[in-house]
Amino acid sequence: MIETLFEPLPVLCLGKCDPARTGLAWSVFLEAGHLRQATEILYRARYCLEDITAIDAEEGYLGVYHFDHMDQPGRVALRVLAAHDAARLPSIADIFQGAEWHERETTDFYGIVFDGNPNPVPLLLMPEMTVHPLQKEPGARAKLADVLAVGEIVRREPGFDLIPPQAAAGSGSTEA
Amino acid sequence: MAAQNPTIVTPDLPDDSGVYVAPPVIAIKAVQDVLDVCRAMSLWPMTFGLACCAIEMMATSMARFDISRFGAEVFRPSPRQSDLLIVAGTVTKKVAPAVVRLYQQMPAPRFVLALGNCAISGGPFKFENQYGIVEGVDELIPVDVYVPGCPPRPEALLEGLFQIQEKMTGRRWWPQPQGTEE
Amino acid sequence: MRYEEMGLTEGDFYSRNFEKGARDDTLILNLGPQHPATHGVLRIIVEMDGEYVIRAEPVIGYLHRMHEKMAEGRQIYQYIPNMGRVDYGHALGWNWALVGAVERLAGFEVPERAEYIRVITTELNRITSHLLWWGAFTLDLGAITPIMYAFDDREQLLDILQIATGSRLTHSSLRIGGVCADINDRFIEACKAFIPHFRARLPMYRDLVTGNIILRKRLEGVGVFDADLLRRYGASGPVVRGSGIAYDIRKAEKLSVYDRFDWSVAVRSEGDSMARYLVRMDEMEQSLNIVEQALDSLPAGKVMMPKAPKVTWAVPKGESYFAFEGARGKVGIHLVSDGGKNPYKIKLRSPCFSNLSLFAEAAQGTLLADALAILGSLDLVIPEIDR
Repeated sequence: MIETLFEPLPVLCLGKCDPARTGLAWSVFLEAGHLRQATEILYRARYCLEDITAIDAEEGYLGVYHFDHMDQPGRVALRVLAAHDAARLPSIADIFQGAEWHERETTDFYGIVFDGNPNPVPLLLMPEMTVHPLQKEPGARAKLADVLAVGEIVRREPGFDLIPPQAAAGSGSTEA
Repeated sequence: MAAQNPTIVTPDLPDDSGVYVAPPVIAIKAVQDVLDVCRAMSLWPMTFGLACCAIEMMATSMARFDISRFGAEVFRPSPRQSDLLIVAGTVTKKVAPAVVRLYQQMPAPRFVLALGNCAISGGPFKFENQYGIVEGVDELIPVDVYVPGCPPRPEALLEGLFQIQEKMTGRRWWPQPQGTEE
Repeated sequence: MRYEEMGLTEGDFYSRNFEKGARDDTLILNLGPQHPATHGVLRIIVEMDGEYVIRAEPVIGYLHRMHEKMAEGRQIYQYIPNMGRVDYGHALGWNWALVGAVERLAGFEVPERAEYIRVITTELNRITSHLLWWGAFTLDLGAITPIMYAFDDREQLLDILQIATGSRLTHSSLRIGGVCADINDRFIEACKAFIPHFRARLPMYRDLVTGNIILRKRLEGVGVFDADLLRRYGASGPVVRGSGIAYDIRKAEKLSVYDRFDWSVAVRSEGDSMARYLVRMDEMEQSLNIVEQALDSLPAGKVMMPKAPKVTWAVPKGESYFAFEGARGKVGIHLVSDGGKNPYKIKLRSPCFSNLSLFAEAAQGTLLADALAILGSLDLVIPEIDR
């Protein structure tokens, strides 16, 4: 279903995952500029927003947006990369109003700024805090290819190199 | 006999002056002793349930454990109407100014019972480089009785109440549980 | 314009940050963070016109206990007790979500008897959670009697759960690959004695409380949520089932052994607070059905998988998401591991967080008393929101 929904959208990498191993049905890598368009497609297809979080990896902060459908369950993870030194992503709070709080929480923990969030003040942390607690030390970060579940690649941009092609052939996690 | 000593409690908040507790008007010991017993047998706790321990505090006030038997039935939401502050749960740095303000708003004689490990020392949420909680409510306000547990059973809270009553009147009023007599 | 920009220097950060509305004659009221409604440390700044709420802004974070940071500093086995503290109401639901995420990622299979024990204890925990909600909700509305009855039943259930899980409240009895201990005959007998007793109590609750004209006038028609609102905020649980959407993860994702029992998802279509109330009362009955059937068909066997991971076991590399139907909604654990000693990241997806975020939109234009009825019907547990 997502395959057809995202047909007109220029995704970086669209993967079909195994829900029994990963809990995800689809994993979609996007450019930050296409995030809002993808979110509008999901809204019109009556998906609901589950959560927004981020993973602090070597390549940058990966914003992860989980959506699920109440009538035909199948979790979609939208993944958008933001650079460490310029961590900005567009806000989707005008499409899914619940995103306002999720984005504020992600800003609290990772320092990612969401442009367009209606009330960008700290949500969970004290306003006086200057540290973003879940950011990792530069030496302790992992590579995204090691930790993510990307699934069976269905579509892929030629220049997309976050996930090397051979590692993506599996259905989810690699062996310990 | 335990009686509230007049002390100057200086808070850390930038906008309040020190709180001075005045000595009693009638300074006859016998009268004070009777008043202490009356106070101890009718403590009014404040509903300051923060986290999980609040549920055990609620259970203590319900029919099975029945804190009303020992006088502390009337849980008041307002600090101005209560004399026992039961801090039930974790105190975060964000809520700390509210805790101090509530304590200051309580009229004397007032007592504080730290319920649960979080209120005693931060509990399970104390770890290296933690950034969010106050490690024990006694860093903010003076505590009279500590009731450990995560969460403590309602019987433990009742025992803590007995200790407060013992602190107020100088003796324990209720039987010791079997096996704990010394 | 925020009050701070208008030159206000009193109050704290959030009251200065509050947006000034169009009118000059409104009252800005602070509900919390300490208030008698026993939800916990929740603060809501409301702008009011007399008794009517023009705008409500929840302020949270007063019980932020750094669960996600602790996940990165602990081994996965050490993290299971944290799940009991995230939502003390339905602790086993969060336990299950965590061990489910790990088992999904590592490909572990849980023995059948352990699945049954998980189902029985989790459904009993759901009943205690709903009883706590029911007592506290009616207490908010001004009824002081129901909470006494609710806690009476709840205490009996807590004694039963203590036999199986070891604790009254913050259960941590699920393990990766099974449960911590087998159940014994005393537990089974106590459960079997409790079921008819509770079934006989529920009609009394219906007569005493649910059919009460005061409760019905307070709740009927108050806080109607439509499906679009629920989708935009990601609401789940009884909040969406009260609006006609029959979404229950136990059935939707065919979790564990739930499909072996004959039970139905509790759904109402009106969408108001009364509907959400009735959904939870129905869910208690359904949970009782599940427990009864599970006890009757309990298989023999082990309660931990063969070659269960040791306490110092590290999660293999990869990512998984596990959603479970907690008493309050969809509990989600997003687990990311790089194969190291501690997990790389655990994101706790809290149902109350999403459910509360719709309060600002839902409470506009209501009476303050109705706004509090809506808040109670959302069944909030603040440690879960703040994590």
